[in-house]
Amino acid sequence: MKKDGVGRRDFMKTTLAGFGGLFFLSALDKQPEEKRIDVKGKGRKLVYRPLGRTGLKLPVINMGVMNSDNPNLIRAALDSGVVLLDTAHAYMQGRNEEVIGSVVKGRPRDSYLIGSKVSLPQDRTTGRYTEGATETEFLRKLDLSLKRLGIDHVDILYHHGVSRKESVLHEPVLNAMAKAKKAGKFRFAGITTHSNEPEVIHAAVDTKFYEVILTAYNYQQKHVADVRDAIARAAQAGLGIVGMKAIRGGFRLSPSVRSPAAALKWVLQDPHVHTIVPGFTTFDQLETDLAVMEDINLNEAEKMELQKEASLPGLYCQGCRECLGQCVARLPIPDLMRAYMYVYDYRNLAMARDLVLSLGLPSGACGECTVCPVRCSSGFPVREKIRDIVRIREIPAEFIA
Amino acid sequence: MRVLGLILGILLLPVSSPPAQGLQFPDIPGWKQSGEVQSFSPKTLYEYINGAADLYLASDFEELKVAEYVNEKKASVIVEAYRHRTPRDAFGIYSQERLPDGNFLEIGAQGYSDKNILNFVYGRYYVKLNSYNTGTDDREALQAIAIMVAEHSGEKGGLPSLLSAFPPEGKKGNSEKYITRNFLGYAFFHSAYTADYELAGKAFKLFLIEAADENECKSILQQYLRRIKKPERGITERRYTVADPHHGVIDLFWKGRYIWGTVDLADADLRTKILKSFEAHMRPGKGALDLKSVMRFTLF
Repeated sequence: MKKDGVGRRDFMKTTLAGFGGLFFLSALDKQPEEKRIDVKGKGRKLVYRPLGRTGLKLPVINMGVMNSDNPNLIRAALDSGVVLLDTAHAYMQGRNEEVIGSVVKGRPRDSYLIGSKVSLPQDRTTGRYTEGATETEFLRKLDLSLKRLGIDHVDILYHHGVSRKESVLHEPVLNAMAKAKKAGKFRFAGITTHSNEPEVIHAAVDTKFYEVILTAYNYQQKHVADVRDAIARAAQAGLGIVGMKAIRGGFRLSPSVRSPAAALKWVLQDPHVHTIVPGFTTFDQLETDLAVMEDINLNEAEKMELQKEASLPGLYCQGCRECLGQCVARLPIPDLMRAYMYVYDYRNLAMARDLVLSLGLPSGACGECTVCPVRCSSGFPVREKIRDIVRIREIPAEFIA
Repeated sequence: MRVLGLILGILLLPVSSPPAQGLQFPDIPGWKQSGEVQSFSPKTLYEYINGAADLYLASDFEELKVAEYVNEKKASVIVEAYRHRTPRDAFGIYSQERLPDGNFLEIGAQGYSDKNILNFVYGRYYVKLNSYNTGTDDREALQAIAIMVAEHSGEKGGLPSLLSAFPPEGKKGNSEKYITRNFLGYAFFHSAYTADYELAGKAFKLFLIEAADENECKSILQQYLRRIKKPERGITERRYTVADPHHGVIDLFWKGRYIWGTVDLADADLRTKILKSFEAHMRPGKGALDLKSVMRFTLF
């Protein structure tokens, strides 16, 4: 559709791309390329997505094995439809790879995929590699990993734990991976990042070397918008995107959400994420994951559950209403925060616009105050969010289908 | 009000003990520390060990301190001291990473070396040393540094005393583990001690679950029997032989606040023999453990 020389897509890009940096268009415009595949003998139809341009098609959830030395759980996962087992050279000091090796022994090599990771010594305060980070050391670790796994190649080999642009380009690692790939020791080159993810992801795309990115991604990340944008760019460049830390949000031991299924689905609403590798350790958790693999759509109850989460900095207003008496302009802050969530989480612009318009706000909301007296109990930067969300009034209704 | 506050403050003083000094990285002859000691909390552990952090966090990890020692030959040894909430938690992560064919050493409660690494557990600390460019002096250098670090840890004690309940016959050396959560993939089993066995050509595993009290044991069994669709009303202290859909035959015995049993052992006669042997080691006066007197959290 064109209007005054500017199509809906272009308008949205130019107007909303700068919408606090959080909105990204493709979630609305592009349906994820996915299909349902029967799991033999299980009566389950699992949602699969292609892993970028690797040619691999994966169920939307696979297994992070890092916490499990329970071979029967790994077997149950593979028998239920999980395809990719995610591990690392360093997990359990190598025992994790050994356990996987014992499980896959005797299984057809094309019935499962393995992603493993090799890290080299870094100064963890700076994220820079130290003297021992050599090509030889990388290759030695890879060979040991293959030995533990009892296979001649892994499907994805990740350059593990990168937090800086220059480390993405660390020549000894790139050389080692190039040699190992040539020798057939892995199929796809990957990189993993737990912190400073956007910088790492953008740098990985720029190298044109990596084919898969494994990144932390969840709604609790303070910089989730930047991560989301970086993921979108990488996916559009053809890289496979694997998500992690979807439930725990990084450091938390217990799931920090009341509904792990909702947290997983939240990540999968992003069509640029091709699969997630949560680290489950119980059969019940496996069942939860399988249910999500069958139906990735957030239902209303799950949306409400997410909305109610007490520990969701940045997106969800807790509705405590403590702010109401603090704003000198008497703005309906909880409603505005809800509108903000409609845009940046539900990606439902129409709902957000209707709500904002219904509030009858003054034209320059928050524009006249130099200092905001509102102290949000959840720590929201209230003024910034309001200034951001009220701009939705300027978008013509016909552009928000 | 101020007087009341002062009184309260004084009253509270003896209750809040000063923080323990904890492990100090010692001066080591011939080596000097390079750079500052780095610290990592549960929130930042990922920055240091990436996804491996999950297992440490499951073992109630509290703090990591990292120091690097270097010598004139440009060799370096990195010492990582992971402090956990209890000695049992530290043993848990140590045991899950332990290399069974390592070169075992009497450092701390137990340690071992392998190529350029040396790991040991001592009280609440799990300490890992890695050497670089130490050449032929690898093991000597690591051991010398490890011994001094252990001496400066402020910790004491040995391995968990419950491990002595495992029958010695057929037990594989250094195969004992403490699984901190979700033993066998079931949340209700929570934690368990395990050991690997090989007897009469059969490889299997024994486990021992320690509950808070008899009621918890009963609850664990109720949940388990319900899970495998064999619910029972009158659960009593006795032997239970069940067909687990994921693990095959599990034979277990409940007594007091302990449940012990076998995994991966199909031979019924051998299971009976093993369970009896286990019970003998759990009986007061017969073995290392007194079912009534062993207190939780004082196992070291």
